[in-house]
Amino acid sequence: MLLRCGLRGQPEILGAGMNPELEQQLQGELERARKGDRGALARLISVLERGGYGAACVERGLSARAADSYTVGITGAPGAGKSTLVNALLGEMVADAQRVALLAVDPSSPLSRGALLGDRVRMHSHAASPAVFIRSMASRGQLGGLAVATRSARRLLEACGWPLIMIETVGVGQVELDVASTTDTVVVVLNPGWGDEVQANKAGLMEVADIFVINKADKAGLEATRRDLEGALASLPQQRRPAIVETVATEGRGAVDLWAAICAHRQAIEESGELRERRLGQLRAELRGFVEAHLEVALDELFATDCADLQLAAIGRGAVDMPAAGDVLLAELWSLVNSPKRR
Amino acid sequence: MDANKNKDRLWKSASGLPLQKFYSESDVPQEQRKRMAADPGVAPFHRGAHPGGYRTKAWRIFQLSGFGKPEDENERIRFLLEQGETGFIMEHDRNTGDHCYNVDHPDVVARREDVGLTGAVMQSVRDIDICMKDLPLETSFGHAGGAVVQHAPFALAGYWTVAKHRGIDLARLPGTGQSDFFLTYLGCVTKQQVPTAAGLRFNADIMEFCDKHLPRWVPVSIAGYNGADTGLNAYQELGALFANAVEYLEEIKRRKTMPLENAARACSGVNFRASMDLFEEASKMRAARLMWVQLLERRYGITNPKVANLRIHCVTAGSRMTYQQPLNNIVRGTVMALAAALGGVQSLGVSGYDEALSIPSEHAHQMSVRIQQILQEETNIQAVTDPLGGSWYVESLTAELVERAWGFFEEIQDQGGFLATLDSGWLHERAAENQSEDFRQQESGEQVIIGVTDHKDDISPFEVDGFMGVDDAYDVALERLQEVRRTRYEAGAGKALSELEAVCRNGNNIMPAMMDALQSEVTLGEIGDVYRSVFGDWATPIQT
Amino acid sequence: MKTAGKRILMAKTGLDGHWRGPTVVAKALRDAGFEVIMIGMARPEEVMQASIDEDVDLVGLNIGGHVDVAVRAIGMVREARPEVPIFVGGVVPPHAKRKLESLGVEVYPPGSQLPDIVAAAVRLTGAA
Repeated sequence: MLLRCGLRGQPEILGAGMNPELEQQLQGELERARKGDRGALARLISVLERGGYGAACVERGLSARAADSYTVGITGAPGAGKSTLVNALLGEMVADAQRVALLAVDPSSPLSRGALLGDRVRMHSHAASPAVFIRSMASRGQLGGLAVATRSARRLLEACGWPLIMIETVGVGQVELDVASTTDTVVVVLNPGWGDEVQANKAGLMEVADIFVINKADKAGLEATRRDLEGALASLPQQRRPAIVETVATEGRGAVDLWAAICAHRQAIEESGELRERRLGQLRAELRGFVEAHLEVALDELFATDCADLQLAAIGRGAVDMPAAGDVLLAELWSLVNSPKRR
Repeated sequence: MDANKNKDRLWKSASGLPLQKFYSESDVPQEQRKRMAADPGVAPFHRGAHPGGYRTKAWRIFQLSGFGKPEDENERIRFLLEQGETGFIMEHDRNTGDHCYNVDHPDVVARREDVGLTGAVMQSVRDIDICMKDLPLETSFGHAGGAVVQHAPFALAGYWTVAKHRGIDLARLPGTGQSDFFLTYLGCVTKQQVPTAAGLRFNADIMEFCDKHLPRWVPVSIAGYNGADTGLNAYQELGALFANAVEYLEEIKRRKTMPLENAARACSGVNFRASMDLFEEASKMRAARLMWVQLLERRYGITNPKVANLRIHCVTAGSRMTYQQPLNNIVRGTVMALAAALGGVQSLGVSGYDEALSIPSEHAHQMSVRIQQILQEETNIQAVTDPLGGSWYVESLTAELVERAWGFFEEIQDQGGFLATLDSGWLHERAAENQSEDFRQQESGEQVIIGVTDHKDDISPFEVDGFMGVDDAYDVALERLQEVRRTRYEAGAGKALSELEAVCRNGNNIMPAMMDALQSEVTLGEIGDVYRSVFGDWATPIQT
Repeated sequence: MKTAGKRILMAKTGLDGHWRGPTVVAKALRDAGFEVIMIGMARPEEVMQASIDEDVDLVGLNIGGHVDVAVRAIGMVREARPEVPIFVGGVVPPHAKRKLESLGVEVYPPGSQLPDIVAAAVRLTGAA
């Protein structure tokens, strides 16, 4: 069904249709990745990032979510200390005998499409650990704090048996809603002295955060930020109120508490049944995102044809109005999506 | 080259100050004209620290040296002293020293061939003792090493402990150890380092300790050099250096543990870079002295001329030494040394002509000394103090550098101060912008570097192939480390180490405990482990 | 140029922290459309692991000090990712340059111009 809706990625791939050889090769890679071949896993993430037919082939091989994988999102403004915190947290997770995969997202340059991905610089204590898989992802134009393929990469990691997955979002100065629809526990990182930010983003923060971290807790303004945060959360019922954890990530201080808070949150939502609801919501968001991405490709394709130009010219002449031209294009889009070459 | 190139060119100084065809009296700002009436050795000191200039005291020939085993370094230092060097610098191996690792740390083992390439390996007071064998500690000016902040307490305590063993009264011991923020957090960022707040504490502790016990010692030497060679331009180097000094002074002011005037004196031995823009660099040394007077008076009300008289150690720009046609670097070194000498400095190091290839060979080291001796002895440059004083060009450049440097200083304050600009990476961004601009100018032909951008095809009969030191540094260091562990009084070492850890945690001055630790033969790596567990790791700002 | 989506790993093999050169190079590569994964100072096995996990198309090593340290890192990357090209910059005296070149590694010593380095990355990643 998903394949029927078309293929995402570069237009030249769209018409390629079936390629049993490639499909077989990718299934082989997936088999190897499932057996623990990190090279195969890494290559498959690249395939997902490139999109198109190859990505679709891989995605088809991924079943629904494995119930025993758990995903933690780490978000917060640039400079909040996310990478350093993640480094400290990785230590706790690994000490707890958990294998962890990290997807660290950084922005792509809108001009050059290139990116500097520097998160690993902060994570050298786990650089060669067999228990930690780190993958840097460039956002590749995706807004919302994640990269184009973050969600599918997460599903791949689950399929390959990584029990714990962390996603570190792009820091863009506001709360990233996408992370909430992709992860099971959302950790929002703040710093002392960010009272104004707490006030300004109150609604968004409360919506996404399961745990608040006040990192750099040795800096001035800790108490005030904590007060602002507690004030903002006071209206929530006790059992839904996010924990607040203080950390000094550069010293590793508070990482134990944060890991404990994550475990407690996990236990609570597992027991209350909320986790099941969340995952349904995640699936819905994922499916919708999938459809949207494919529609967008088709739309780009449509606007590259003279079909759009004709309507534009007609609007220019006054021969047709905007809604009417829009209807024509929507009909075209529909037939493009359903065209035989896409099946 | 295009014959008309110069005619159409937009002439600027290296830091980007627009330059006129020539300068006249009216180009010198009114305030600067008033200052021109002051003699050298008199506030505001831009004309020189001493009225007699180099007649009173020739600049100190002070070369960075070090490699191999402590005895190899000792031999090189003694060679340089024989060649006429008048101070000496003990360089500790960077792999171990900067990181406070012993040689058996996995990060060092992985690079065992690098050990001893950038300095001698000194993991305990025994190694330091070997390196200091027969050195004239009281009559020469020694640099104990410890340029990197977390390493400084160890290097200093080691040097002082050896001096004490030799019966030297610490109250009479001259020298420095640098402990420089520019190097540590901007120029040469280590894999692991104590956070800037802990670094500030260390430096204030060293200042306090020297105030009590080593009055002739220069406890910290702020090295704008390391900012400049990372990309900061002349006025940024000035502004950032004084922003750094303010951090130290404010910390001492907050502690109220020593007179602020003493703290200012402790900060008044600084290190600048001399690069290729001859007049701008000479003017920078003059501007620096003027700014120190202004800073102390305006911000702290300190006017004592003994404190407000900035003493400058200058090093020629290593980054301007080219890989291509390395013998050309002897000329570059000479021009940069001349800039420093004209600006008036107390001490000078000339980068080796093989700087872009390796650490200096014995020959390159000798040339660095000879360049300075030729300037001192053959050019008559020492005869007259502030020879550029009264030049309309140099006086207006000096004034403009001062003005722009204070502007940059204020920008740093707006960012929350010098430490904040290191933590956030703001200062790194400023340096990186200039680097990128340099590359752009080299591509466009605006900036010419002989042998690199132009005239690339010279053939030289002399191949300079990079000095690689000795090849047994690692093995010997490992043996000696094991020997120390085997033969030291273990209970004493253990006690000293726990005491050091307690002091690190409780916030008292770390230097007395560090002295005990060195005396008890605690090793470098053990001290580093204490730092790492107490202070954690600085979050290096990531360039984007 | 088809640099979009091409990934380059940049590592320093030594413990010497001069970042000026590698950072300027990383930015130039970013501006040419590459995704540059920086890992800072890394041991040979760390360079190797990152070259696998990050599925890079090219490995750039900033080296200083003894050439044998770089040779070890190159050997480990070669073993894990034999198809991935490697280029090297930094303080590389002539004898080290000769040794590295004999291993099939391109060397960009101090004074190399950015357009040349970017052009090499484009060629080595097949993005031309």
